[in-house]
Amino acid sequence: MLKALIGRELLNNLMTFRFAAVLLITLLLVVVNTAVLIQDYEQRLESYNNAVKMHHQELRNSKTYSTAYLFVDRAPNPLSIFNVGLDKRLGNLTGIYHGFVPTLWDAQMHGTDNPFIAFFSSIDIVFVFEVILSLMGLIFAYDAIAGERERGTLRLVLAQPIRRGQILLAKYISAMACLLVPLILSLLFALLLLTRSIPLSTDDFLRIAGIVFTSFAYLSLFYLIGLLISVATRRTGTALMLAMFVWGFLILVYPNLIRATVNPSADVQERTKTAKNQIQQIVDEYERERKKFLENKSVIGDASQFIEAVSLYTDAHVDSVTLSPYLENMSLISEIPPDFEKYVPIAKKYYSFVEPLATNAADKAWLVQKQALDDIFVRQAVMDRALLKLSPVGIYDAATQAWAGTDLLGLRDFFDATRRYRRVVIDYLYATDAFSSREWFVADKGPVDWSTLPRFTFERRDVGTNAKRALPDLFLLLICNLVLFMGIVLIFIRSEV
Amino acid sequence: MIWHIAKRELYDNLNSLRFALTMVLLLGLMLTNAVVHLQEHPARIQKYLSSVVDARNVLESRADSLYDLARKGPGKLYKKPSPLHFCAEGGDTFLSSAVEAHYYFWDTDDLGSFWRMQYPAATPNLTNIRPDVTKVDWAFVIGYALSLIALLFTFDSVSGERERGTLRLILANSVPRHTVLIGKFLGALISVNISFALAVLINLLVISTSSAVHLGADAWGRIGIVFFIALLYTCLFLALGLLVSARVQRSAVSLVILLLTWVTFVVFMPSILASIASGFSSPMSADELQVRRYQINDKLWEEYHQKTGVSKLQDMQVGSRLVTQDKVEQDRLIEKRLMQQVEQVQRARSITQISPAAIVQHLLESFAGTGFERHLQFLENAQHYGRQYSEFIVETDRTDLQSLHLIGVREGMSQKPVSPEAIPRFEDTLSLSKDFNTAATELLLLILFVVVLLSSAYLAFVRVEV
Repeated sequence: MLKALIGRELLNNLMTFRFAAVLLITLLLVVVNTAVLIQDYEQRLESYNNAVKMHHQELRNSKTYSTAYLFVDRAPNPLSIFNVGLDKRLGNLTGIYHGFVPTLWDAQMHGTDNPFIAFFSSIDIVFVFEVILSLMGLIFAYDAIAGERERGTLRLVLAQPIRRGQILLAKYISAMACLLVPLILSLLFALLLLTRSIPLSTDDFLRIAGIVFTSFAYLSLFYLIGLLISVATRRTGTALMLAMFVWGFLILVYPNLIRATVNPSADVQERTKTAKNQIQQIVDEYERERKKFLENKSVIGDASQFIEAVSLYTDAHVDSVTLSPYLENMSLISEIPPDFEKYVPIAKKYYSFVEPLATNAADKAWLVQKQALDDIFVRQAVMDRALLKLSPVGIYDAATQAWAGTDLLGLRDFFDATRRYRRVVIDYLYATDAFSSREWFVADKGPVDWSTLPRFTFERRDVGTNAKRALPDLFLLLICNLVLFMGIVLIFIRSEV
Repeated sequence: MIWHIAKRELYDNLNSLRFALTMVLLLGLMLTNAVVHLQEHPARIQKYLSSVVDARNVLESRADSLYDLARKGPGKLYKKPSPLHFCAEGGDTFLSSAVEAHYYFWDTDDLGSFWRMQYPAATPNLTNIRPDVTKVDWAFVIGYALSLIALLFTFDSVSGERERGTLRLILANSVPRHTVLIGKFLGALISVNISFALAVLINLLVISTSSAVHLGADAWGRIGIVFFIALLYTCLFLALGLLVSARVQRSAVSLVILLLTWVTFVVFMPSILASIASGFSSPMSADELQVRRYQINDKLWEEYHQKTGVSKLQDMQVGSRLVTQDKVEQDRLIEKRLMQQVEQVQRARSITQISPAAIVQHLLESFAGTGFERHLQFLENAQHYGRQYSEFIVETDRTDLQSLHLIGVREGMSQKPVSPEAIPRFEDTLSLSKDFNTAATELLLLILFVVVLLSSAYLAFVRVEV
């Protein structure tokens, strides 16, 4: 009997105008968007490649260790086509040196050719789904029960020896089967375009499968919301109005409203201030030690003459927003003075004392900074996300970002890697005795040999990690589905025909 | 008779669920908008004023030497925030709020590069990891919410009556069909606008009661125009709803068509079209700009080295020529790049005009004094001021009879200090007539859309078979 019901419903749904229209629009939007997004991705990839090449060249051109600038770039994530998340918005370039610990908040953006173009918001595939799938679910559901009740066919069906739950189940299964057609078909087209221009790994395909499954849960949730409205109302007209306003509220209004009303609290500023003071103390301590060393006449001699001879440039400041300490000791020698050799052993001593000191100070500051950054930036963002999750759109968005690896955690993976790379670079400098070498500050005996420096590589975390991050939200979606379905069954069983 | 039908429609609508929901939705949105504006706007104004004062102080501190003024330029010029920021936020986060005059490009013992205007990219807020959402401004309320509501009020106005069979009854009377249509249109228009007008009134009430935000007569005029545009835009979607409703037999089908059209034109079309259109042209890249700047510099220095070394006076003359020529050519290059960037955006914007939602967004931005057109006005103001500033330098130098009038060389210019008050001030102005000019085409386009849709709704309804 269930089968017969499903068959009837399926036929009813498939032969309607709304099915054809929805199919057409979804296909059109997804395909056009994918083409645009692929082009955008390729541009970003090209800009990334150029930047990597340029930074590599810059490093090789640097004559001494102390004036070398080592930059690492973040490659665009190919799955940002599905959900762009923070991938495009946050910095993709950060400097690596021992007196500074790179964080997400210190990163910069390598250039775009027309900054005004950022003016136009880009639409990713998940956004298309967010809008279209939810609308589809509601359009298919609003008259499922209310319509039959109005036409009087509900009585006929209920007169049969069928359980009411089964009727609902049949309606649910057949409608979902119908709704899956546009979803799967459009994704297939998108993948077809995608695989032709962007190489995807097996892990990427698994991630995309995760996104598809999440989309399915999202679609089902909206169908059930529609069904609930349909069961609870007497007339299709009322059901439709309610459905449309619920849609407008959940998709358009709520996410924007909640973000506008919630603003960072004042204690963030207080927290920034105290953390900055703590870090400033560490930096001051470093400066004191450094100055003490310079004043030590038995080692340095006349400090001002030494500073002039190696043309020492020092900087020790704390960024007031990101709280990062910048500790620099550079020799900007352009011409070597005649009695320079006298200062070489002193400079070696100075650098081999000061650079480990700067490294340690930066490491020590990082312990404070890490906590503070979490309190200042991350907590607020996490709270925003939690509030957004009161609407299914928020849950869906968070889950798909986690699958695609464009969420905050995915981006922080990259910056964790940059910090590991900083350690690698420091170890390398120690291993090659760079701090106490002549090449640290002067280039007269030939430039620095960078060929043995390990290159920076970053692999996105495996799909298991993505799954672990996405599953809580996915489960939340599924639980919402289940609760809604049970609620609908309960209302339907108790309702009078 | 029209009023009779309109009144009937109006009563029908006012008692319906959709009217109540519309009311709640619009009021909620507009109240949020007002409260957020009151929170943010004073801080914005404060920031602008203090930056302007700081910039002026920096400028006046250079007044001791005319050469310093001439070399270092006017410093930072700030864009004045619009008091109508709540009407349309206009992507202000993507547009920089200032232009800067930089001067440190090259430096030798006795010559230095002169200032040139830089048009910085908006500093993207790279430390912001909070989720990104649209601002709830009037443009959002009108563009998205109001248009959707207009469709929800009309999708069943003809097809619903046909389904219920009441259409036959009306048409059996001796009422001309166009009267019926216009009556329905007016009924829907009034009922949508009652809730919108109420929401707007409450929004403005909240905003104007606060002492922190001051709206002048000009601003009220602009708000009036914005309201008129909202009215036109509502008409457009009502006409669309009537058209589809008259053509289609069942209201369910009518709604599906309307919703999908709405989603396509309002939500997706503007961004997708803009992304496609901006791919057609590529302005000068930052690297290319760099290369060409060095080319100009090298060429001028080569000329310089050929001509120097004869006498001190000639050296100074050649040096002055080098510096001024360098400034002129570099300025031209930078402006060319800016023009290309602006053209790319304008092309993208003109293509998005296929979507009425984009037209309304542009119009609201023009009249609220935010967004891209306003940014162009600001750039123009800044460029104008730049020229005025250069002229001021030349004029001041000319009044000093001891000066050699060799702009660009320290010894060749007037040595007298300049009175700080005499330095021209930068005044960023918003002019309504200019806004009207840029907006006129778009306004006409919008009216055209409305007329076409209304007349096709009329045709469809006249030919409808009951």
